[in-house]
Amino acid sequence: MNQWFILLKKEFLEMSRNYKWVWVPITFILLGILDPLTSYYLPQIIDSVGDLPEGTVIQIPEPSAAEVFIMSLSEYQLIGILIIVLSTMAIVSGERKSGVVQLILVKPVSYFSYITSKWAGALILISSSLFLGMLASWYYTGVLYEFLPFSDFLAAYWAYALWLILVLTLVVLCSAALKHPGATAMVTLITVFVLNLVGGSLTHALEWSPTQLPLYVSERLTTNQWPEHIWPAAGLAALFTFAFLVMAILLFKRKELAD
Amino acid sequence: MALVRVDNLVKNFKEMKVIKGLDFELEAGKCVALIGANGAGKTTTLKMLAGLLDPTEGTIEFEGEEKVGDHRKLIGYLPQHPVFYEWMTAREFLEYVGKLSGLSVKEAKERTEELLELVGISDAKNRKIGKFSGGMKQRLGIAQAIIHRPKLIMLDEPVSALDPLGRREVLELLDKLKLEATVLFSTHILNDAEEVCESILFLHNGEIIESGTMEQFREKYQQSKIDLVFKGCAENFVEKFANNDDVISIKHEGNKASLYVRDLEAAKVSILNSAVDENWPLYKFEISSISLEEVFMKVVQK
Repeated sequence: MNQWFILLKKEFLEMSRNYKWVWVPITFILLGILDPLTSYYLPQIIDSVGDLPEGTVIQIPEPSAAEVFIMSLSEYQLIGILIIVLSTMAIVSGERKSGVVQLILVKPVSYFSYITSKWAGALILISSSLFLGMLASWYYTGVLYEFLPFSDFLAAYWAYALWLILVLTLVVLCSAALKHPGATAMVTLITVFVLNLVGGSLTHALEWSPTQLPLYVSERLTTNQWPEHIWPAAGLAALFTFAFLVMAILLFKRKELAD
Repeated sequence: MALVRVDNLVKNFKEMKVIKGLDFELEAGKCVALIGANGAGKTTTLKMLAGLLDPTEGTIEFEGEEKVGDHRKLIGYLPQHPVFYEWMTAREFLEYVGKLSGLSVKEAKERTEELLELVGISDAKNRKIGKFSGGMKQRLGIAQAIIHRPKLIMLDEPVSALDPLGRREVLELLDKLKLEATVLFSTHILNDAEEVCESILFLHNGEIIESGTMEQFREKYQQSKIDLVFKGCAENFVEKFANNDDVISIKHEGNKASLYVRDLEAAKVSILNSAVDENWPLYKFEISSISLEEVFMKVVQK
């Protein structure tokens, strides 16, 4: 356990030295406030840059606070996932490729600790960035439209975080299995987006699928209650996260580290 | 008492047989050189001993290993091209690997200071490793290999990439390390091996073709040989010995000549007699002993 914390501390030090602790939270916050701001100021923006003929009347229906908040979540669904993938795609393969892993693993370091400490470091970074980002979104929505109950925010956060952690763990698994970070990025992005696409059209067949979690969060925010399949979907997300992590450790163990 | 016992070690990469059954033992407290040409399998052998590669067949047993197959506490390893976390400072890195090896925070700090001093990079201890020169990285590499006082220190070509000065310093360092642990290092520079090590393993095409101490090699491969250096062309003076019964063969090149002889004493007398009688312009007369390089050439050609 002691060794695990030494490894985790190193992950934190590395993430602060390469400024991940700066740019990831900032990007998540910017993504979070983008939609409340743009939808609130949209009429003015169109007015000032639109160059429309005189007398044009544009009517934009005023979105509800919940809708604005849901819109900002959809930013995470695209750009947020891209950031997660790009910032962690080399999490395991990077050290193997550079060769530094040879110096670390000839020390009596357990493979379990090595992988899980890296995973935990990234998890803390992503989940706290997401928290800050969603909090900023919630706050701006509140200031510009109306404040949603804080419990709505919390409910949306945990379910959404569960989904993004699953994506993150998939990245860790691919990074342990594939040598090239670019391959990791491609495999995870394609998997996630294809599943999302399929999930969007086959809502019935996939109602227990973790990919439906973002959808269920939207439902929770608009109808004020969880749809019935949230619990199996959330449970499966946790189960898959665990399974991916175990697979990552096993794969990493079996791989020969020296080449 | 053997510290490590290697039994029928085989390694295949796909269809290629890189290591074809090694058997050897490393005795505690000895310095052993692993010698071989490029591609002979030195690095692969060391990596298997370090646990970074799994052997296809065979076993590696360490005396006093806690868990079967995991002897990492007992070894220190320096790869041929060590790579570090470039964003760490030398001190941070040593403390980090020290703690990973099971030292307490305090021990790791003390040991780090001690080793930075020993390998001679304490001036640069707070500099980022990314800014280090090759020689400094090599020293840091040695420091990280010995931080937890391993019983076996394995160094893969520790001096090949260094300039003459750095090479000398590292060899002196190896001399010091010998006092504390068994040292196994690979090299293709024979002089280095001859200088530091008692014991030598010759690796060729994935097999150990010869092993032993320098003295054993001398006895086994010593050929009585007399080296002569002349002022002027050597050929004219030595060619008449070609028919001499004591002489096996003659090699000459420019002003140098080597005579391989059967009976050293008899040959010595007849050569020196001719030298005096014919008033040879002789610069040098030497009864030579065999060098590691010659042993290497011989065992490889066998």
